Amino acid sequence: MTTMLRELRLSLNQTQRVRLQSALQRLQDMASLASAVTVVADTIPVNHEDSILKGHGTSDLNGEVVATLCGVVERVNKLVYVRAQRARYKPEVGDIIVGRVIEIAPKRWRLEINFSQDAVLMLSSMNLPDGIQRRRTAVDELNMRSIFEENDVICAEVRGFQHDGSLHLQARSQKYGKLERGMLLTVPAYLVKRRKQHFHHLENYGVDLILGCNGFIWVGEHVNSNGENDMMVDQENREGLVNKSEVGQATYEVQEQITPLEIRKHVCRVANSVRLLCALGFSLTVEVIVDTVEASISSNTDIKDILAAEFYVQTAEREVQRRVSLTRRKG
Amino acid sequence: MEYVDSLTGFRLDGRRPNDMRQIRGEIGVVAKADGSALFEMGNTKVIAAVYGPREVQNRSQQVNNQALVRCEYSMANFSTGDRARRPKGDRRSTEISLVIRQTMEACILTHLMPRSQIDIFVQVLQADGGTRSACINAATLALADAGIPMCDIVTSCSAGYLSSTPLLDLNYIEDSAGGPDVTVGILAKMDKVTLLQMDAKLPMDIFENVMQLAIEGCKAIAQYIRGVLLENTKQLECRRGV
Amino acid sequence: MVGLSEGEKRFIRGGIAQDLRTDGRQRLHYRPISVETGVIPQANGSARVRLGATDVIVSIKAELGKPHPLQPDKGKVAIFIDCSPTAAPMFEGRGGEELSTELSFALQRCLLGGRSGAGAGIDLSSLVIVEGKVCWDLYIDGLVVSSDGNLLDALAAAIKVALSNTGIPKVTVNLGASPNDQPDVDVSDEEFLQFDTSGVPVVVTLTKVSRHYIVDATSEEESQMSSAVSISVNRHGHICGLTKRGGAGLDPSVILDMISVAKHVGEQLMSLLDSEIAAAEASAEDQ
Repeated sequence: MTTMLRELRLSLNQTQRVRLQSALQRLQDMASLASAVTVVADTIPVNHEDSILKGHGTSDLNGEVVATLCGVVERVNKLVYVRAQRARYKPEVGDIIVGRVIEIAPKRWRLEINFSQDAVLMLSSMNLPDGIQRRRTAVDELNMRSIFEENDVICAEVRGFQHDGSLHLQARSQKYGKLERGMLLTVPAYLVKRRKQHFHHLENYGVDLILGCNGFIWVGEHVNSNGENDMMVDQENREGLVNKSEVGQATYEVQEQITPLEIRKHVCRVANSVRLLCALGFSLTVEVIVDTVEASISSNTDIKDILAAEFYVQTAEREVQRRVSLTRRKG
Repeated sequence: MEYVDSLTGFRLDGRRPNDMRQIRGEIGVVAKADGSALFEMGNTKVIAAVYGPREVQNRSQQVNNQALVRCEYSMANFSTGDRARRPKGDRRSTEISLVIRQTMEACILTHLMPRSQIDIFVQVLQADGGTRSACINAATLALADAGIPMCDIVTSCSAGYLSSTPLLDLNYIEDSAGGPDVTVGILAKMDKVTLLQMDAKLPMDIFENVMQLAIEGCKAIAQYIRGVLLENTKQLECRRGV
Repeated sequence: MVGLSEGEKRFIRGGIAQDLRTDGRQRLHYRPISVETGVIPQANGSARVRLGATDVIVSIKAELGKPHPLQPDKGKVAIFIDCSPTAAPMFEGRGGEELSTELSFALQRCLLGGRSGAGAGIDLSSLVIVEGKVCWDLYIDGLVVSSDGNLLDALAAAIKVALSNTGIPKVTVNLGASPNDQPDVDVSDEEFLQFDTSGVPVVVTLTKVSRHYIVDATSEEESQMSSAVSISVNRHGHICGLTKRGGAGLDPSVILDMISVAKHVGEQLMSLLDSEIAAAEASAEDQ
């Protein structure tokens, strides 16, 4: 059991230990029939008469299909592959990801995205601040730093691999761009499922939650798609002048709009719920995260106690219930 | 010194000549690493941490068609019986780092991760003979934990020859006895030897026996490691849900 | 160390100002501490302390040595800290040397008192066997296995726990015929004396971010600090040592305030460690 608690070292009392064990046992029982787990160098049983396509995580050894990763064997038509678990992110075109700028190079930014290489965001794949569609000039190149600086956190979409093997991103839509008023969490990429929606505006809490397919999760104060948050909107209404392209300049930052405490509490609650679910190894979907947050509020759990022993055990038990009701609905 | 009691056949620590020490492997001991593991062989305790595959830090070392594998071996000041300050980069550490790197590089499918870098860091917490082998076994677990594709499971074990008997898995006392020490690393499924080191002298026919004994030890460790990985993989999958 | 964007830094600073840090803690709250003793069986005493994702191991070895000629009535203690590359790739090769040296010296300052040995948290005179001739040399070796901020406090706590776990072998001394002879010392294999740790202090590091101080900073929070003051406090509330890091200047009244906060937090940390030590000893006896 200690193998699962990578980051959370909890001291459970006897009752909590027993409850946790039984909850985990039930999860194990529910899952046992579903997957075909494999370990490195295990032979994967295939029907040799079919022309099987050997996919990711497999290799050929003396005519047998052998796994090169530890994970679950998936079969889709004629394709057999191994889905790894704690491996680095495997990009697919169209994935929404969150990354951090590592370097500014001529006409491009390099981003760290939990992949085996850094990804590239070309200046031409990015909207200019003035919003006009035009050719990038030399002046734009020199002003790249005014758009994104080193260490900035950016939301973007995977465009694809170029012929030289590098991974390119694009951030042309309004919903992509710099993320500022919040914090970045890193989780193993396999816990984030590919869904239709990755941007979540938790209206009840005023919190933005972006589940990057690469395992980078952004939790922050809600910001409208034109880069404003509620406080800024009020200010605009009052003063009638906000120059959006000047966001980030020193004069503007003097006002340093601090996230209001109420919203901050919700942000921290959501963040701790994500950390807890990650420590338990449960998939991160917005439903489970919101459930966990609501449960913490209704049980009057202090924000920091979300990561403590009692709520840990309760969350495991809640997940058992959730999966049981899911299978009942399906079956 | 009688390393094998002539009456009972027991070694100094109560083992039989063909007995390996108690082994234990645990995955996920360093939270921030991509993959990590602890491996114990008797009193020898080693932690391995893997960072990568990630962008190559030193552009000049980048290889265009495969991953760059780097390895560093360190021993804690308190790891040996007589506590000694270990300067970083001393010759023994450099040699063992090289040995581990070459052994792991042989089984990592580096061509699948071009222009990237994989760092393997091995830290010895307690040294009681067989540190090299424990490091390789820990590294295998850590690489599997990090989801790095490998062609096979690499395991390693040592064997020696004292009091006219081949002995499996030497501890520190037996290792310092001045007899030969054969360290073997194998690719378990392919049944191939990937690492072979020996010091001191041995007649050829005895060498074969000793090497074969070490290989048996490696296979036993491979089975254990496979069990640990299987259990871990199952657990992660169950937790993740559908 | 991963860098942080301006937006994230602002968020962290704002949280500290509002007494709600990114993991929900208040400013003066420690992360859950987990303590294990006897992790290095071949040492005289050892401990492993985990503070969040920070993980450190301390081992204590006692060897026979000769007292320093200027302090013939005291034993010797040396503290060496090592940052393992497993904690972070940047500790590879000699990358961790600077941090290791800084931590070693800070701990020496906090625990070992001045050059004369006076005022040490560890009672050095309890380590002498034959005055001027034979004494115990205590080697305290710390290893950072995983790092997420606040290494100094974690290491000091580990040293305290390891010392409570330390057994110094009993010795019988046969003095030589003449006073100039080197005495013959017989070290017992079985009998051990528990080391007296009542005077050993804990270290509380207060990190100043803008106008507020926080305790037990994570590595992200540490990157935001303007300065940090580490204060070692003992059971009686006395200050045993003090180190200030970071470039920003501090008003003396601020430092005095930080000291009183550290004393208060130190008390709580001390009692927490005492109960953890007792629990660890109890579970060790059960086994």
